[in-house]
Amino acid sequence: MSVSVDGPVTRSSVLDALEAAYPMLRGTIRDHDTKERRPFLRFFVCGEDVSLASPEDPLPEEIASGREPFMVIGAIAGG
Amino acid sequence: MKPSPAERELSREEVARYSRHLLLPEVGPGGQKALKAASVLIVGGGGLGSPAAMYLAAAGVGTLGIADPDVVELTNLQRQLLHKTADIGRPKTDSARETIGGINPHVNVQRMKLRLDSGNALEILSPYDVIIDGSDNFPTRYLLNDACVILGKPNVYGSVFRFEGQVSVFNPTVGGPCYRCLYPAPPPPGLVQSCAEGGVLGVLPGIIGSLQALEAIKLIIGQGDTLTGKLLLFDALGTKFRELTLNRNPDCPVCGHNPTIRTLIDYEDFCGVRALGDQEGGGEEITVEELKERLDRGEDIFILDVREPQEYGICNLGGHLIPPGELPARIAELDRSREIVVYCKTGIRSARAIETLRQKGFTKLRNLKGGINAWADRIDPTMARY
Ligand SMILES: [Zn+2]
Repeated sequence: MSVSVDGPVTRSSVLDALEAAYPMLRGTIRDHDTKERRPFLRFFVCGEDVSLASPEDPLPEEIASGREPFMVIGAIAGG
Repeated sequence: MKPSPAERELSREEVARYSRHLLLPEVGPGGQKALKAASVLIVGGGGLGSPAAMYLAAAGVGTLGIADPDVVELTNLQRQLLHKTADIGRPKTDSARETIGGINPHVNVQRMKLRLDSGNALEILSPYDVIIDGSDNFPTRYLLNDACVILGKPNVYGSVFRFEGQVSVFNPTVGGPCYRCLYPAPPPPGLVQSCAEGGVLGVLPGIIGSLQALEAIKLIIGQGDTLTGKLLLFDALGTKFRELTLNRNPDCPVCGHNPTIRTLIDYEDFCGVRALGDQEGGGEEITVEELKERLDRGEDIFILDVREPQEYGICNLGGHLIPPGELPARIAELDRSREIVVYCKTGIRSARAIETLRQKGFTKLRNLKGGINAWADRIDPTMARY
């Protein structure tokens, strides 16, 4: 899915826009109160794990332009 | 357990059987003998374990262990090719051995009809060279990860859900990350659905389990690049693969510099599985028999169905449908003065929904124990069970 972000494209602003568009996602990707990433999922940008980077760091141009996805990868357990 | 050098020699029949391998310089007689000498434990004889076991058997892996506590069910046959229609009700380990023996009688199959736990895992894993995680639940995945790290064994990880698959090789002994480096904690029970609740396209575990067999073979013959330090994602709807780089967490509690987990722990507790069960038992459950009786008496009970619309289409109790993802936004549809019985397929998602509703101030809530499957089993045998 794509979202539009006003101002700098960061992890925070992308997830804020996503949660505004899909309120049911609030509290599932980031903790309701602390806004910390929940431990059973990780964030990837251009194949690299950026889960531990600052949420306010600008995301690369590929993401801002929509050419590459900002990926939220969650644990699944089916077998 | 290790064969003697003479036993590792390939017979005439084996040379012919494996000739397409022997023609590959990357495998050749050396690689084929390494496969014959190798032992692989497959945890879970289900959707992932089926192709993994069948390809590893065909490839000539000398010893295959299959650990699975379950018997074959009709709903397994859409994807678990180790088992046939006539096997319904039999232990999966038995039908797995028959299928594997039919593919390659040279394979020594070790059946373990059991659930791995903290008490038996280290002993069961230790004779094997490579472990394949084809399990279907978070407690077993964390257990296998920790046991493999403690024993220094490569863990070929695969998991599937709906149309999505993940594959990796967790091998901290060669510097790679482990499962806990990737996911330090599991999702709370009920937040992420299992395949039994959310479904899975049957061919998907066929692809992911085959990739697990591939990784195991490369580990054994020491050729190519494995998925150590990488997470391979497969999107079945888009037919797209994507490879992500994984980093080792130096503070990982099991493979980090100062590990705090040095022995196996209680994984059901760690994954919150037991806590949810206790909560369900906390006086708020209702059995299908009690619900039937009270409905027959004409009591005023509001029935809330927290499944997905396609599940409602398979069978329902005529309740008000609100899929779990929409519940927070649709709470206004519910009357908090009425008694609400919440149900899903098995009782897990409904327990989670009750938690959400309680946080919003609802008090008259009952969880239908065993979900609509219990209703189909015990009240209405004509109802479809899925
Ligand atoms: Zn680790």
